[in-house]
Amino acid sequence: MDLLLDGFATALTPSNLLFAVVGVLLGTAVGVLPGIGPAMTVALLLPVTYSVPADSALIMFAGIYYGGMYGGSTTSILLNTPGESSSVITALEGNKMAKNGRAAQALATAAIGSFVAGTIGTVLLIVLAPTVGPLVVQLGAPSYFAIMLLALFAVTVVLGASKLRGFIALFLGLAIGLVGMTSGQPRMTFGFAELSDGIEIVVVAVAIFALGEALWVAAHLRRKPLEIIPVGQPWMSKADWGRSWKPWLRGTAFGFPFGALPAGGAEVPTFLSYVTERRLSKHPEEFGKGAIEGVAGPEAANNASAAGTLLPMLALGLPTTATAAVILVAFESYGLQPGPQFMAQNEALVWALLASLFVANTLLLVLNLPLAPVWAKLLQIPRPYLYAGILFFATLGAYAAGTSSFDLGLLLVLGVLGFAMRRFGVPVLPLIIGVILGPRLEEQLSEALEISRGDYGTLVGEPVAIAAYVVMAALLVGLVVARVRSSRSTTPTSVTEKDEVNA
Amino acid sequence: MSQQHAAPAAPPAPEPTRHRVVDTAQYAMAAFLAVAGAYVVYNGTQLRGGMSADFLPPSTFAYVVGGVLLVLAVLLAVATARGDVAEAEEGEDVDLSSGTDVRTLGLLVAVLCVNVFLIEILGWAITGAILFTGAAWVLGSRHWVRDIALGVALSVGTFYAFYVGLGVPLPAGILNGVL
Amino acid sequence: MSIVVAYTPDAYGQAALDHGAAEAVRRDTALVVVNATKGDALVDPRYAHDDQIAAITSDLEARGLDVTVRHEVVPDVAQAVLEVAQETDAALVVVGVRHRSPVGKALMGSVGQRILLDARCPVLAVKPDA
Repeated sequence: MDLLLDGFATALTPSNLLFAVVGVLLGTAVGVLPGIGPAMTVALLLPVTYSVPADSALIMFAGIYYGGMYGGSTTSILLNTPGESSSVITALEGNKMAKNGRAAQALATAAIGSFVAGTIGTVLLIVLAPTVGPLVVQLGAPSYFAIMLLALFAVTVVLGASKLRGFIALFLGLAIGLVGMTSGQPRMTFGFAELSDGIEIVVVAVAIFALGEALWVAAHLRRKPLEIIPVGQPWMSKADWGRSWKPWLRGTAFGFPFGALPAGGAEVPTFLSYVTERRLSKHPEEFGKGAIEGVAGPEAANNASAAGTLLPMLALGLPTTATAAVILVAFESYGLQPGPQFMAQNEALVWALLASLFVANTLLLVLNLPLAPVWAKLLQIPRPYLYAGILFFATLGAYAAGTSSFDLGLLLVLGVLGFAMRRFGVPVLPLIIGVILGPRLEEQLSEALEISRGDYGTLVGEPVAIAAYVVMAALLVGLVVARVRSSRSTTPTSVTEKDEVNA
Repeated sequence: MSQQHAAPAAPPAPEPTRHRVVDTAQYAMAAFLAVAGAYVVYNGTQLRGGMSADFLPPSTFAYVVGGVLLVLAVLLAVATARGDVAEAEEGEDVDLSSGTDVRTLGLLVAVLCVNVFLIEILGWAITGAILFTGAAWVLGSRHWVRDIALGVALSVGTFYAFYVGLGVPLPAGILNGVL
Repeated sequence: MSIVVAYTPDAYGQAALDHGAAEAVRRDTALVVVNATKGDALVDPRYAHDDQIAAITSDLEARGLDVTVRHEVVPDVAQAVLEVAQETDAALVVVGVRHRSPVGKALMGSVGQRILLDARCPVLAVKPDA
């Protein structure tokens, strides 16, 4: 408790409060803006880590993470264009509500539901983090190796429609992670001295999330303006409150555990929440025509999963969403390595971050309810400026990472790769996680083998490691079963069925 | 769409109308993977075994990653030949119905290249402004006055923000001493 | 012969539409309503929704007018209005004009001003009732 109060003391200093406000506003703005998401924003803001203190920067990034979730739901409701995969479900009922003249209520239930879920999620995080911390410290290298393998495998297999493309992304990421000096000799450096320290992760993150995305969108710009539904101040009637509060709580219950799992993400819990609310609703006839429960539940699930994501990230150094991956890059540019030792060694920082999540969440509610009409105005920014701005800041961020034009060339090459990945439907998340975890995977394996004097049997010598391999095997079996079942039906293309994913 | 209700004894649904579409561009992706995989493996063979105390030689990971990339390249090529079509990424500002605008893409890459090669000669204050204005022009903006004003404001502003605020010196180039 | 109205779904566009319709009745000519956008932003408040266009069309037709609506995405809005005027051999172009500061005009440009200066036929510039 004292630690948490210390955390609040850090989070509530005027300058950190300012960073939180900036983060929340920026996060919401980019969530609303077309073509920019929270992962890209954090990637573009990585240069601030060069001089801003670690706690301030992380507080700002937490604000961006939560704010981006909220901003994404605003456009889902007002425009029916979910920017993030996590707000696809919100658009189903949210946009229908808006079309029926209930935009204000949809925005209100989304905002308040996000607040409720984010707060409960953060409480859970605060309760669980100290319990998980001592446990993970005891993990040996073989266990840690197995858990990382599991995370890589799960992220690749569970998310996305095409497993083949998931693995392509993962191994491209691992290949990028190979670059650099190892045992005193250059590996994969193509003879460039600049590559002997490895490829700067900041450059990879900016290239894949910002440059690749901007090029992709620029080459496929929508021309006809979308019809926006005018909106005033969000508010809810008593009846709306009565119909919202249970979905908020159920959504939170779905969101947090899925966020905390190695292959978390928000897609599955938001979908589950939607299905549950439709089943439990007293107004099932309204579903598909604008039922408030269908906005309240998924929005809560969405934010609770964002909170849940932070648990494996802080405790194990495992990022499970794109934004978490980029935030992890920020940790690394401070020389901080989230993982088993991290929480014990950086107690003050972790608690400041947790406290700042409360602050960010509250700010989000206070700022966003009155600001909704302002956010809607952002959609009128001309695209040329928007995308020229992204290219400008991407270049700046990559140059600042190493102050060499070599990095800019690298940025361009990887940006074109990011474009190609989007063209060929290759997901970007496994790539960036492969880049981050690849070197650590090698490090842990090397350490495990060193201790066992080269005996590979050590890899299955710890119970946690065995458990991780069993889960991986189960996932693999589930995958094969799903394949066989779907190839028996006459539609060979429907490989992913939500129910099978959850099995 | 799936014909689950059809009697099990019925002959397999005829699908003469579903002609096979082969996404030929995807072969290029497969080729890229093959080249990347081959290079990773080749690079692995060039590495010495490492020190004797090393139980995990640096080549091991290279062999595994490179080998899997080669396998994936083959799998992708086979899938492509069997009619697998990539599902291009959607987005809130993306219209996939009209194909890729290659001209815009090429011009943007060209603008970025200009920056790569000139940033250390001309300095960020100039190339940054060119980058912004050029990109805005490529993307269809024709308000010259506004575009250039914004570009210059951004590049000069970030130059000072990085120098004073973050302590990161961006190249001043030919404006060295002026800025 | 026709009367071309540069329409936007706001008070200025409404004023232009009202004056244009009155002129069309008086002169007994066809009315062409142009509502165009550059489509360079995700949302353009000056581009009418499809149902707004349907509403004004049926309203004008109810008044016995021969109405055509050009509702499209174009590279340049002022140019588009001028081209429609040329095409339909316009006797008059009606635009709603708003007050803009000189700086705003330099930065944003002005569709109304360009139509005033470049049209080959008389232009009627109107303001909403104060």
